[in-house]
Amino acid sequence: MNGTASQRMLRILAAWFVVGLFALPIYYWITVAFKPNRDIFALPPIFFDFDWNLSSFEEVFGISFGFDKGLEVLPGGGNFYMLPNLWASVVIAVLSTLLTVVVATLASYALSRMRIPGQHHFVFFVLSTRMMPPVAIAIPMFFIYKSFGLLDTYTGIILVHALMNMPLAVLLLKSFFDDIPTEIDEAALIDGASRVLIFRKIVLPMAMGGIAATAVLCFIFSWTEFLFVLTLTQTAFKTVPVAASTFVTSTGTAWGNMAALGTAAMIPAFVFILLVQRNLVRGLTLGSLKQ
Amino acid sequence: MNPVDRKLWLASITDRYVRGGMDRRTFLRSAAKLGLGVGALGAMSHLSARSGLGLISPAAAQENIQWPEDMSNWLKEAGKPFAGQTVRLATESTPPSNAINSALKGYFTEMTGINVEIETLPLEQVLQKLTLDVASGLGTYDLYYLDQSWMAAFSGDVIDPREKYESDKNLAMPGYNIDDFLPALVDGISMYDGVMVGVPYDIPIFIQMYRRDLYEELGLKPAETMAQYLSNAQAIQQAKGPEIFGTTGQMKSGHYSLECDWTCWLWSHGGSIFGPDKTFTGNDEAGLEAMNYWIELKKNMPAAVDSWTWDGQGQSVAQGIAGQLISWGEFFPSWDAPGGSNVVGLMEATVPPKANSLRTVEQTGFGEIPGVGHQGGSSLAVSKYAKSPDAAWLFAQWATAPETQVWITVLGGGTGPTRQSAYDDPRVKANAKPGIAGTTRHLDAVRETIANHMGSEPDLPEWAEISNDTIPVELGRFFAGEYDSPKAAMDAIKTKVDGIVAG
Repeated sequence: MNGTASQRMLRILAAWFVVGLFALPIYYWITVAFKPNRDIFALPPIFFDFDWNLSSFEEVFGISFGFDKGLEVLPGGGNFYMLPNLWASVVIAVLSTLLTVVVATLASYALSRMRIPGQHHFVFFVLSTRMMPPVAIAIPMFFIYKSFGLLDTYTGIILVHALMNMPLAVLLLKSFFDDIPTEIDEAALIDGASRVLIFRKIVLPMAMGGIAATAVLCFIFSWTEFLFVLTLTQTAFKTVPVAASTFVTSTGTAWGNMAALGTAAMIPAFVFILLVQRNLVRGLTLGSLKQ
Repeated sequence: MNPVDRKLWLASITDRYVRGGMDRRTFLRSAAKLGLGVGALGAMSHLSARSGLGLISPAAAQENIQWPEDMSNWLKEAGKPFAGQTVRLATESTPPSNAINSALKGYFTEMTGINVEIETLPLEQVLQKLTLDVASGLGTYDLYYLDQSWMAAFSGDVIDPREKYESDKNLAMPGYNIDDFLPALVDGISMYDGVMVGVPYDIPIFIQMYRRDLYEELGLKPAETMAQYLSNAQAIQQAKGPEIFGTTGQMKSGHYSLECDWTCWLWSHGGSIFGPDKTFTGNDEAGLEAMNYWIELKKNMPAAVDSWTWDGQGQSVAQGIAGQLISWGEFFPSWDAPGGSNVVGLMEATVPPKANSLRTVEQTGFGEIPGVGHQGGSSLAVSKYAKSPDAAWLFAQWATAPETQVWITVLGGGTGPTRQSAYDDPRVKANAKPGIAGTTRHLDAVRETIANHMGSEPDLPEWAEISNDTIPVELGRFFAGEYDSPKAAMDAIKTKVDGIVAG
């Protein structure tokens, strides 16, 4: 398995090559955020030797809009001022993930442990809500939201993101719960524990890895979702993916600003993944071995 | 000092400031003495409008902008009944929209008490939003940003601004002067079937732009004919290729930009999209001649033009790899922005070459106006379903008023004003300098192109689909080699377009 030193070296080189392959676009994207406009599309591409500057970040975070002069930023903050959008993304992604995970955990535990008539049909029904392309739902949702006053509200977007992620979360979590032996529940039942207690004290801690993995996926899907936010919001707020599209102007795309926002937008996702990392690795491998 | 002298004096100090002959403090003090704080920003716009992409510093604007007293007083009175209402607008991220959203709308709110919420999006997403709004009749937007290619589709969903201006005198802004809009624009971008759909808002238009340094080195002159334009491109390509290409393009398959390029070559070769019988005529003799010209021209473009929209085209010039182009004049200021391009101060603008021949409007269909200077203007229209139509009308007038247009032009860094008076304003002329972001030195070419070379697409409800999908998709397939000949491609487009028009 270990092989000779040269084989090991080859494996290490191959691993670094693959890492480089994935990391290079991210590195280049980040450098775009620090480059002056004229260097962004320079041919041949400039990877290292350019005049680093923070102007794109200053614009995206409103620093050049007068914070340094103590002046108030105008309503709307200018087209390239993106801090509120970043905040909106964080709020929506965190709350929709929380909502999804709470509801999906309870639902999937029930589906895993309890027997109800037509259970298989129910699972299929849950999954089928993901079979329709989102664009087919977006326009009816617009009318429904308009009627219920949910258009252009945080609540509306949190709900739609939770609904969007729910089927995947339920199915994922059900498979995690299925992997926890029912004998544990039965032993606890014999000892007099209630269903709620078993769920809270025994099964939930054991499924924490799976829940973390599901939460990461829900967070990322909400963080990057575009169509529903585009259709169901107007001027109150925008999340990062839709806000980034405003960098596409009639006179060209502000690539530096878009890269600055993209770079900044990676940070919350990284932080979230770091927070759940301890459970995540366990969750991603949970169920990979069947007993 | 009379107003004319004040403006001349302002132009003079602005000139000294721009040339570095006066420091900022002295300049602002001089401008303030004139009671023309406004003028200060005209000269400083190159400091605040960075890279020509519409980024404005509200802080800078707040320091300097003043509004004429009569305009401000009238808005205060007229806006009183609507104070607290909110006007919503969905618009493409264009220089005027960016200037208003970033720096100017706060003044409107301050004067009238009317809040303004502007949603800036890419063009195709604006179309989606407006279509949804009209289909539902819910009035989620009070104002529509209407691209000229959508006029027919939305003509039944808006309030005619002329009628509104005439019928509601309490809300008619004094000095608004609809006749001040460039007449060609009123016909080209605002009218459909006798209805004024909106007020002319901005006017991106094709002009001829070229690298002065290359032209001087190679002994070239700006093309006056289409043949000269091709030979200039070939000369640059031959002398400077492959580092510098003769010309460039916006030929992304399936994108509206590809259709825009096509119309320029079609119209300049005596062709038209539709004939008087309202059937597609791009496959006739003139249409095929245009395609052959385009194929020859494309040999002098970077291969990547097939994946570029206007963004890639503009970037190619900014990188210094293209010698000339006929395209959107609103690119021009971004190339002059220090640090924004490799061709700062090197580009020149002039009118497009003369067409080989031009069809008259009567020889075309659906009001199509052939001309080398393809225009992509837009109008601002009050929605019939608006929740605050009167407040929206006040905003529309303010946003397109002469004074606001001047501000948009000096702040917006690129847009072509739609009013004659804005082109003549000393603050706009003061920015006609090379090497500054927000330069207006291309505007003479823009104005003359509007007057004498402008081409306008046909007006029909199906045009948004035809121009944004049918034609660019098939042209993309042609340049990808899926058709044997231009004739085969044009015949295929004819079948599809005629089918769509016939319903």
